[in-house]
Amino acid sequence: MWSQTKITFLEAVQRITQTMARLLPGLLATILLTVFSAAVALVASALVRRVGSRLEVDRRLREWGMAPPAKVGDPGPTRFAARLVAGTVVATGFLVGLSVLESSATSALALRLLDYVPHLLMGLVILAAGVAGSRALERSVLIGAVNMGLNSARLLGLGARWLLLVLASAMALEQCGIGGTILTAAFGILFGGIVLALSLAVGLGAREVVARSLERRFQESERRDTPSSDQIHHL
Amino acid sequence: MIAIQGPSEQALASGRALTERLRARFAPVDPVVLVSSHRGGLVSLEPLEEHGSPDPPAGAPGVLPAASQGAIPGYASPLGPLLREGAARGAVAVAIVAAEAHDETIDWLERLLSPVLEGGVDFVCPAYRRHRTEGAINTGIVAPLIRTLYGQRLRQPLGTEAALSSALARRLLADEDWRRRPAEAGSDAWLVAKVLGSDARVAQAWLGAWPRPLAGPEDLGETLIRALGLVFGEMERSAALWQRTGPSRPVPTFGAEGFEPGGDGPDPARLFEAFTRGLRDLLPVWSLVLPPATLLELQRCAARPVEAGGLPDQTWARVIFDFSVAHLTRRVERRQLLRSLAPLYLGWLAGLAHTAATLDDAGFEARVEATAGAFEREKRYLIGRWRWPDEFNP
Repeated sequence: MWSQTKITFLEAVQRITQTMARLLPGLLATILLTVFSAAVALVASALVRRVGSRLEVDRRLREWGMAPPAKVGDPGPTRFAARLVAGTVVATGFLVGLSVLESSATSALALRLLDYVPHLLMGLVILAAGVAGSRALERSVLIGAVNMGLNSARLLGLGARWLLLVLASAMALEQCGIGGTILTAAFGILFGGIVLALSLAVGLGAREVVARSLERRFQESERRDTPSSDQIHHL
Repeated sequence: MIAIQGPSEQALASGRALTERLRARFAPVDPVVLVSSHRGGLVSLEPLEEHGSPDPPAGAPGVLPAASQGAIPGYASPLGPLLREGAARGAVAVAIVAAEAHDETIDWLERLLSPVLEGGVDFVCPAYRRHRTEGAINTGIVAPLIRTLYGQRLRQPLGTEAALSSALARRLLADEDWRRRPAEAGSDAWLVAKVLGSDARVAQAWLGAWPRPLAGPEDLGETLIRALGLVFGEMERSAALWQRTGPSRPVPTFGAEGFEPGGDGPDPARLFEAFTRGLRDLLPVWSLVLPPATLLELQRCAARPVEAGGLPDQTWARVIFDFSVAHLTRRVERRQLLRSLAPLYLGWLAGLAHTAATLDDAGFEARVEATAGAFEREKRYLIGRWRWPDEFNP
């Protein structure tokens, strides 16, 4: 009885040892790859910071209104990008490390995730560009609308920003493969709906207001006794 | 040597008339009249007359290289080619005149040229009789700013016309900026900054009624970008100079100053409405440029009726200085920054238009002088903000 137990135990230990011996190189390779990717991430992060600092990316993005004004504790776009690059490199290194493990399930999962990383990154880039572009567009539309004398300038700016943001989000989600055709259809319905709603609002609800506004504008341009600000030479 | 700037057909007609007048008045000086083409560059009258074309192709005989940007919409400044051609032909003086019809009730050409040809003056800056609220960017921003920065009181510093002595022309031609900053060198603001920053003898001449361009006014935002972009750019480059300049002094003036009679100005209430609308909607942008105290003062102004005078001169001066600092530090993209100044300018213009409607010429002139005086009094504020844009933020 004792000897049988001993044999079973020894066989188990032997199997575990063999499995460990088989897995250990892969595990070691995973750890090494992760450590190596961490080192690469540090270098890449420093490189991004240096390039960002040299090209004054933060200042330029703030100048165009693409990034919010600097605040205490706010990392800023360059530091955020550096962290994102570092995280992506470490994650990629870890996934590559997982793929070398001699476990079919883990390897398959790692390979699928590795395939997904470029899509995810592209999605993030599209979203970031959309957010930045929407901020710049909002400011530009706002200033233009105020100078045109429109009363709803802020609403127009906000509308332009959200339209671009929705568009960028839809593109990013599609790039990431989230939502599939439902997303495209939903986006089409939403966008078309907004345009239709605006057309109906102007065409039906505000028809008279628009007519009066246009009439006033033409009358003003014809009235020479009281010239408006855009009818005099400012320089 | 004279360059005529403006629509080529008009310039051609003016060129022929000018040549005759110059020959009659300044003999034995042999006048050379060139025409500034739309594409920039200068064309002598002969190829224009020969081809019958208002804009001969670049590289054609008699066509000089392209010019740099000017402050007046639609016109490139022909200064660079004019200086080079003047030096090559040994001109005793060079001048730029507008092609549009001048006030023929006075001898405007004599007033422009004789201080240089006979009076020993190096630079004549013209001024014109205009309706009171016309050219308000010149009256309320450029002239007070130039006066504060360079210490000389020019009434209308940015214009198409100017007369320069040969000595000044040679000095300007030797300037490094033609090589280092070809896009800006030769612009109206560049010329004024260079001349006022030197020891050149400066005068201004009142040339009668303004030679009104046929084209209508340009969009206000674009005008602000074009004019103030140039002035703020020069301000940035000559910062070391203007921070040492003392109080302003008058320059020798030829001709009688004055305003064009009649002509109702814009409605002050509508201008002020544009300002209050801007204050309501553009506060997020202005808060990046203006310090809290100025924003508070603007809100107080918006709460008052336009009859109270619009923006006070001190506030207006600080606003312009803050925008110049934001232009330097690029807190906001420069075109957007200058376009966002439009509602503030209209708020100040509302006060000026109200003054124009209620005061006589002398009263209005005193109001203009008070604005310029406020700019000078606030110069210490400008220097503080310029040197420490983030720290000095009252």
